[in-house]
Amino acid sequence: MTFQELLPTSHVSEATRAALTQRLAETSQAAAYEPQFFAPATYRLLVAVAARLLPQPERPVPIPLAPAVDQRLATGKSDGWRYDALPPDREAYRLGLGGVEQIAQALFKADFEQLTSSQQDKVIEAVASGTPPGEVWQTLSASRFFEEVLAELTIIYYAHPWAQDEIGYTGYADLPAWTKIGLNEKEAREM
Amino acid sequence: MPDEEIAEEGVATPLETTVQDPLLREILTENQAAADTPQEQPQPTSAAAEEVDCVVIGLGAGGAPLLARLAQAGLKVVALEAGPWHQPETDFATDEQAQDFLFWNDERLAAGGNPLAMGRNNSGTGVGGSTLHYTAYTPRPLPDDLTLKTDFGVGEDWPLTYDELAPYFEEVEQFIGVSGPTPYPWGPARPKGYPLAPLPLNSAAQLMVRGAEKLGIRTSPAANAALSAPYFQEGVGWRQACTNRGFCQAGCSNGAKSSMDVTYIPLAVKYGADIRPNSYVTEIERNAQGLVSAVVYTQNDQSHRVACKHLFLCAGAVETPRLLLLNELALTSGQVGRNLMAHTGIQVWGTFPEEVRPTKGIPGGLISQDTHRPQNADFVGGYLLQSIGVMPVTFAGQVARGRKLWGQALRDYLRQFNHIAGINILGDCLPHADNYLELSDELDNRQVRKPRLHFTAQENEVRMTAHAEKTMRDIWAAAGATDIWSFDRYAHVIGTARMGLSGDDAVVDRNGRAFDVPNLYISDNSTFPSALSVNPALTIMALSLRTADKFLENLT
Repeated sequence: MTFQELLPTSHVSEATRAALTQRLAETSQAAAYEPQFFAPATYRLLVAVAARLLPQPERPVPIPLAPAVDQRLATGKSDGWRYDALPPDREAYRLGLGGVEQIAQALFKADFEQLTSSQQDKVIEAVASGTPPGEVWQTLSASRFFEEVLAELTIIYYAHPWAQDEIGYTGYADLPAWTKIGLNEKEAREM
Repeated sequence: MPDEEIAEEGVATPLETTVQDPLLREILTENQAAADTPQEQPQPTSAAAEEVDCVVIGLGAGGAPLLARLAQAGLKVVALEAGPWHQPETDFATDEQAQDFLFWNDERLAAGGNPLAMGRNNSGTGVGGSTLHYTAYTPRPLPDDLTLKTDFGVGEDWPLTYDELAPYFEEVEQFIGVSGPTPYPWGPARPKGYPLAPLPLNSAAQLMVRGAEKLGIRTSPAANAALSAPYFQEGVGWRQACTNRGFCQAGCSNGAKSSMDVTYIPLAVKYGADIRPNSYVTEIERNAQGLVSAVVYTQNDQSHRVACKHLFLCAGAVETPRLLLLNELALTSGQVGRNLMAHTGIQVWGTFPEEVRPTKGIPGGLISQDTHRPQNADFVGGYLLQSIGVMPVTFAGQVARGRKLWGQALRDYLRQFNHIAGINILGDCLPHADNYLELSDELDNRQVRKPRLHFTAQENEVRMTAHAEKTMRDIWAAAGATDIWSFDRYAHVIGTARMGLSGDDAVVDRNGRAFDVPNLYISDNSTFPSALSVNPALTIMALSLRTADKFLENLT
């Protein structure tokens, strides 16, 4: 069964339904989201980078990724740790996104947002490689920055019910007890 | 261009202030401005401050068992827990993001060659501490886990023997309800088996049985502190059996998992313990003799003070040494913050033709301790093997960090989620001078210096990890996996206030009592002299009960 089918059923607890419903509500508001932490241009850049890290060409409305990052940075929330090698998250994001522009200029003499998808991927590959061109990367660890951004966006993406449908995950529909838990075993609600 | 702006603001003038976070800087500036204008002084904390026999700081596996024991002995006890007191049935969603509140999310700095991920990987908060999200894997240490130095000439021996701890292991297993195999295939014979039969094996466990059998590695259903059948719990009543949700690491919603909030804490409450959630300790006061005299804490933005005759510090291997360092308490051995260890915990993942659906069932269904002292080892100590279930968001995050897949490749790989299964190890770790915790100069959102954890895997950990990776890749290949990859990780912070025989090289004695401060006890994983080759929770609980008993014996 899909998320749409399962959500209203008694297979989903009240607490779980509340969390998932809230996440869907945020999706519908994402298009109108105004950044609270990033400057508008930097926010657009983050949206563009996120669209390459987790491309969603098949979706008319993509799972929003940048708003959650912006909100987290605006409220100063942490996930409990950070690499000592990186500056605080806000600074790392602003520096790193600036660095992405520097790579775009170094490789293609154009803004990241003006590049083709494959050119943008070349820029991202340069960050992932750990040794991209650009002054920013002399002081900011490119590989750690890449890991942090990729992990944060990936977590936001796969927390979304649409992404969970995509991978066939139905674990949120956990009422009553799972009795078929071995290899090739499925409950009716997992079909 | 944002980069230039930042270069001026953040990097070009790094010496101006140690506070790098712009918002924090703003707050500090505002506070400074506010301090310049006369202000109404806060009310002094209640002059008729209460005095109790014992204060316990932290209500995880280290604090909760002894809290119950002290309350049962009739002492007046107050427990201060930094996090809230949850109602799992109504508060805990089957959703990883929604459960983020279970982790200690104040920022900690991870330094060294193998920086330790904290937050969801390694920390907890709330009444129940990290047991709210532990996987409940509760094997006992084997006797030679406690004698590394004697056996290998490196590391540390424990100042306690297995026989001294065994009655406490048994008591904990029987009380909280551990489900496991009887007899247990490894280690000495036990007078009493596990109180409950093992939990059913999920797909990952079945696959590990298949692969290990082909290689001649013995396996067994594991010991898990989650109920395979309803179980009567004093102070709670009947607890329900596990429903195979597989969300142990995001909080158990039906009380089947034996976290402290459904076991020792209700027992403590029944005997009169006073539990104070959302209580963050800001200061530990001492009298002229150097004894702890009171604890100051903040609850709902208000400062309180509770005087005490004895203090039990049970805040875990990060917050315990942090409180000691911040309060300059029990530091003469020079060992506070030192000897930081973390279990080797490399995971191996593979894709199987069968449907796995890796979320369902107790995550650590299966165990092998055949690798406890491998014959061909080029390292000291050993490790256990474990099948692992996984929740989707946790797994996706690990794929991003560990495999560095992105773009279409990331989405394509994760579409196989229902066919992916993993195994991992939990292995010993030796203390090393390069691995320690210190206070940084950066302040967190409570205006307290952030801890910085230095961890670099040394030769022994690297060799053990290589041995384990090969073993697990062989098991997974034998089980039929393709696209096998490994994720190197370290879990559990251990050993930052270690116990020993002398105050020259240890912070606490074998009973958990601080050498420097006779009315201060420490009970958590910070006191472990060595990391052990098993998950720490059961040993923390056993030591907690033992510390309480030794304390009560000495009470005149």
